[in-house]
Amino acid sequence: MLQKPESGALPTLRAEGEKDGGRDGETQALAASQEAASPLLQETPGEHLGARREEGPAEPALAPRGARTLADKASARRRAYRRLDRTVAELVQFLLVKDKKKSPITRSEMVKYVIGDLKDLSPEIIARAAEHLRYVFGFELKQLGRKQHTYILINKLKPLEEEEEEEDLGGDGPRLGLLIMILGLIYMKGNSARETQVWEMLRRLGVRPSKYHFLFGYPKRLIMEDFVQQRYLSYRQVPHSNPPECEFSWGPRSNLEISKMKVLGFVAKLHKKEPQHWPVQYREALADEADRARAKARAEASMRARARATETAGISPW
Amino acid sequence: MEEGRAERRRRTEAPSHTQGGTRRTGVMTDVHRRFLQLLMTHGVLEEWDVRRLQKHCYRVHDRTAAVEELEDFINNINSVLESLYIEIKKGATEDDGRPVYALVNLATTSVSKMASDFAENELDLFRKALELIIDSETGFASSTNILNLVDQLKGKKMRKKEAEQVLQKFVQNKWLIEKEGEFTLHSRAILEMEQYIRETYPDAVKICNICHSLLIQGQSCETCGIRMHLPCVAKYFQSNSEPRCPHCNDYWPHEIPEIFDPEKEREASTSKANRKSLRSRQH
Repeated sequence: MLQKPESGALPTLRAEGEKDGGRDGETQALAASQEAASPLLQETPGEHLGARREEGPAEPALAPRGARTLADKASARRRAYRRLDRTVAELVQFLLVKDKKKSPITRSEMVKYVIGDLKDLSPEIIARAAEHLRYVFGFELKQLGRKQHTYILINKLKPLEEEEEEEDLGGDGPRLGLLIMILGLIYMKGNSARETQVWEMLRRLGVRPSKYHFLFGYPKRLIMEDFVQQRYLSYRQVPHSNPPECEFSWGPRSNLEISKMKVLGFVAKLHKKEPQHWPVQYREALADEADRARAKARAEASMRARARATETAGISPW
Repeated sequence: MEEGRAERRRRTEAPSHTQGGTRRTGVMTDVHRRFLQLLMTHGVLEEWDVRRLQKHCYRVHDRTAAVEELEDFINNINSVLESLYIEIKKGATEDDGRPVYALVNLATTSVSKMASDFAENELDLFRKALELIIDSETGFASSTNILNLVDQLKGKKMRKKEAEQVLQKFVQNKWLIEKEGEFTLHSRAILEMEQYIRETYPDAVKICNICHSLLIQGQSCETCGIRMHLPCVAKYFQSNSEPRCPHCNDYWPHEIPEIFDPEKEREASTSKANRKSLRSRQH
């Protein structure tokens, strides 16, 4: 999880030549950045989610070599650690708050709003924040796609049984119910549904696009903006359609948070039938389940291999 | 684990109550995680809801375990949250002293938690309402006075009609309470923003003479002006036939409210079983 920042990338304002021997990754990273002096030791008037009142005066940017005593260095290092801790804590809060809106978070947003000029330590900060999110809250920080630096939080706690759901004290219930209806329609129509079909279904449920609904607010905004932005739905123009039509399909978050089998089960229950009643969709759902099981097994195997490898190398994985 | 090391380092250096002692950090299980997730979802919860939530989390993740005493349960979680500068904070509603809980930032000084749900002009409307509430004598700001400030808002121009709906949104999201056309802070806002309010409005802010926390609604002595929360009044003057101001000793001119009794609440609704379990928990 810990990644040493490339020392070449760190700006050096001071040539301290301070090198403690025999450190692990973390203190190395911090000491390296301390040599750089700039990010951790200067007071930043920067905008952060939390206020910052550093105890003691800021370090002068260019102190003459040797003028700092050991006590100065020790307290400077403590401040540096504290600042790093606080930045990690702020990033955790930032991610939780952003995730409440279900909007994906980009790495550049994290740097812009939280990490600031500790930018060079971004990988470590993000890794530590991810670990806190996992251990404390049970969320996994998941990267969407390999190239984009966009992340979402996935709930790693086991999903609730039906009886347990009622006691969950509500929350997002009605909206997610609406979403599942739409995901169901999309799936049953062969993984994409025309916009007109979606509104037709909702109209039958008494939900109109621009009429305020006491449970969903403005449905059009919820579906076309919120769900799409949250990556629950994908929305695109049907190619070569005349007159131009748009269609919905499952978004990447839906694929991560729910399965075809579950949605088919929901649709089946709605119609008071068994999932097998729709053989095509049932076969597809089975294949999807098999794929997921394979992917999970692969992930577990590679994790075990990595753990074994790092064990033999004598390095702790964290 | 580097997490533990960072924590230990911070603990020995932080000039706080943990200095010098070894503070055992609690262990998180899925029971605690679900509890945290649900508490976050709701923003703020009354104590009886929190107990129900706790039991629900045990039932989902660890049926066989004994449900830990709520205070210990929360202290355990807080010891883990410490390194993240957040905590589960317990407060009380200002009007009748019901205990409430919320997950709050220890370090923040902004309205950051609201920032994700509201637009710039809406946040500014909240700030204006907040200022009126803090400046007021009663802790309430009238709808009219708030709406009259609509022209001064930062960001996109907002009409009064729209502002009325935004105020309702604040009520729904438990940031404001409305009573007969007037608005005051919800206990959630007080819990989450107390530090921010005290730092931002140090001159206007009112403090309770008994508990020394932020005071929005309360009673005040007509002679010397000190203030007390209604539940603090209830506790301080309980079974005192001649209530006198703790500061200037003048006769306390207001009606002394009753102390909040969770048992009376439960009697109103549910079974004997609940009553028994509450009675066994004397504090």
